[in-house]
Amino acid sequence: MMEFKHRQLKNGLTVIGEVNPAAQSAAVGFFVRTGSRDETPEVSGVSHFLEHMLFKGTERLSALDVNEAFDRLGAKFNAFTSEENTVFYAAVLPEYLPAVSQLWLELMRPSLRDDDFNIEKHVILEEIAMYRDMPQYEVMDQGRALHFGIHPCGNSVLGSDDSIKAMTAQQMRAYFQQRYAPNNMVLACCGRFDFDQLCELAEAHSSAWKPVEAQRRLFDFEGTFQVRHVQNPNLARHHICLLGPAVSMQDPRRYAASLLASIVGDDTGSRYYWALTETALAETAVMQCESMDGTGAFYSYFSCDPKNAEKVIETVKSVYKDLAETGLPASEIEAARNKILTSLTLKCEQPMGRLVSLGFNWVYNHQYRSVQNDVDDVKSVRRQEIQEMIALKLGRFTQFSLGPLPA
Amino acid sequence: MADSYRLKNGMVLLGERMEVQSVSFQFLLPAGAALLPRGRAGSAYVISDWMFRGAGGRTSRQLVEAIDSLGIHHSESVHTYQLALSASLEAGNLARALELFADVILRPAFDPLQFVPSLQLAINDLKGLDDDPRQKVMMRLAEQFYPDPLGRPVMGTMEELESLTAETAAAIAARFYDPSQIIFSIGGSYDFDTVCRQMERLFENPGTPGIKDIQPAPTGSRYTHDQNEGAQVHIGLMTPVPPIASDVYYELLAAVAILSGSMSSRLFTEVREKRGLCYAVGAKYRSLKEHAGISCYAGTTPDKAQETLDVTIDQFRKLRLGISEDELQRAKVGLKTSLIMQTESTGARAGGIAADYFLLGHVREPEEIREKIEALSVPRVLEVLNRYPFEEFTVVTIGPRQVNV
Repeated sequence: MMEFKHRQLKNGLTVIGEVNPAAQSAAVGFFVRTGSRDETPEVSGVSHFLEHMLFKGTERLSALDVNEAFDRLGAKFNAFTSEENTVFYAAVLPEYLPAVSQLWLELMRPSLRDDDFNIEKHVILEEIAMYRDMPQYEVMDQGRALHFGIHPCGNSVLGSDDSIKAMTAQQMRAYFQQRYAPNNMVLACCGRFDFDQLCELAEAHSSAWKPVEAQRRLFDFEGTFQVRHVQNPNLARHHICLLGPAVSMQDPRRYAASLLASIVGDDTGSRYYWALTETALAETAVMQCESMDGTGAFYSYFSCDPKNAEKVIETVKSVYKDLAETGLPASEIEAARNKILTSLTLKCEQPMGRLVSLGFNWVYNHQYRSVQNDVDDVKSVRRQEIQEMIALKLGRFTQFSLGPLPA
Repeated sequence: MADSYRLKNGMVLLGERMEVQSVSFQFLLPAGAALLPRGRAGSAYVISDWMFRGAGGRTSRQLVEAIDSLGIHHSESVHTYQLALSASLEAGNLARALELFADVILRPAFDPLQFVPSLQLAINDLKGLDDDPRQKVMMRLAEQFYPDPLGRPVMGTMEELESLTAETAAAIAARFYDPSQIIFSIGGSYDFDTVCRQMERLFENPGTPGIKDIQPAPTGSRYTHDQNEGAQVHIGLMTPVPPIASDVYYELLAAVAILSGSMSSRLFTEVREKRGLCYAVGAKYRSLKEHAGISCYAGTTPDKAQETLDVTIDQFRKLRLGISEDELQRAKVGLKTSLIMQTESTGARAGGIAADYFLLGHVREPEEIREKIEALSVPRVLEVLNRYPFEEFTVVTIGPRQVNV
């Protein structure tokens, strides 16, 4: 059975663990509460660039040393950056967990050398170019910026060619000092491991880290509800992103919101599916609820033939209208519930699947939630709560599209 | 030991039990793109959508609702030899899920009215490939690398799709149910006796002889370029090596791991870390039954495309000149870790045992694989690399600029 453990070190670093002695592996991660929403325009993209630079080593380790060290442990490791989190993680066989944790602890104090910075800048620019050739991502990125307007959740994670080219290593070092403070980070671990040993390691390697009050402006924002289309003659399909207001990670209604997203826009059997995919009006039509720090958004994505663009939007509006005007059948709620419960069960198969939920529950709510807590909350959502969510949130949206034709 | 049983009609059932709450299963039907009639390569792609639009007396909506009400996550994918129907769910709903899939396989409605949107979705997906050059370049690469029809694109061509009728598609689909060529696999929480009894009852239908022999013809061109005014040049390249059933398979796996298995590998270090040429670069061993290759993808902006290709090919060629003990050791740990982590995922396990059975004729035990990995040595890997040097490459690019090959 899984057991939760928690300890806060003197410097403010939180260590949490979900111990599962039956697991074949273990996963460990650092959750840093920083992302593009915490950046000023001059350093747009610095959180993500910094994530790359953490792998470039420390006073003691070169970039190649770091990569070799991870590989010697057979670690499946990586990192990701979002609007509000930077997460570093590794999954290993249990015997390598202490060594890989120690490596991450060392890397959390990187040297951020100028020459590494200058080479990695090229990689970041290539990554930006790569996403330009992926309209399904590009449309979401630009859609988010349009929707959030002045709210910092609209800030681009990657930054722009210009902001990256202009950035200096000195600016990055200053940002690092502000954001990678021990009291702004959580060290989380899942699977088969010794929690006390992990805490001792963390204690030994982070004793010199100084706490800093890392600020974040929190406020809800419903959206700008603007409409914009950008023509790109190189594209074959019309890509649409719709964003509407949802609920935050702190809001207990987030379970009702994720059920609603599944009812409206799961890839099979949802309202979008019957209205758009089953009829082949659009090849992709999906909705997700993204709950964030203090705010949230329902994201929808569609790709379709350019000549069907208007019809797709009209159909979506009638889906929303229908949901608002007629009651939800119990069978539809039940199907969405069961699909979400299956996802929760599948995530439990591997420690790596649990790590992100474990970390985020702590980062956002200072709370441990077992899988059973999540299952119970998904099961206890009532129809009335979903109906209220529909009435309150569905209907108004920001619309951004990319396609070969003019608007 | 993995569970194994053969139904009276010849269908093979394979299973591996795991201590979890979930279960995943997969049906491999002999309906891969290479087996389909000439000029009909995209038909299985269309049929895989069509067969879920009503079955066993249920309408399209009733069928989807029945699947959804059990919380089943399912996906269909067409491969070279097979059409795979895969599902994952909570273990308690397994029996009801198998009944639904038996209906889909044995009693699809194949309503001609529902064929129209299934075909339209396939056409849309094929057009959408132009907006996903990274995926497209790897599909084009398989097409050029493998002897025809083994590299056929699973979505077919636009002409093939546009000429496909409901009648033709239904006639092709009628040959999918050949139990002697179907592999069913299951991983996770289940009782094998119960599953076998239920499957015997559900699939007592003896079926019809399916499509068997394919005659591979010559491969395509050495270099192909598709002009596209995107931001990057997407490069795909592939070099031939022996397939998974050969006695050099583990040496090749180690070679690919040293080349590209992780962040300290040769390609990542030389192409990305030292030169900053790419964000994405990576190689994989890809094996069909009798043909295999090591494929590689790299995406880069036009000014760097030639250098990226040159450095990448140079790394492939240099590998046989020498590898260090430390490199091989890292590759071994990485391969062993992947192996153990796969045994934790029900979906990966169900897929893995079916692939083993089809490609090798038996399911490898994790212990057998571990021993083979342990036994690898630097001289042995180098000997294999010298026997099969990475010299011949098939190259495909999509983007604003061509390269010199």
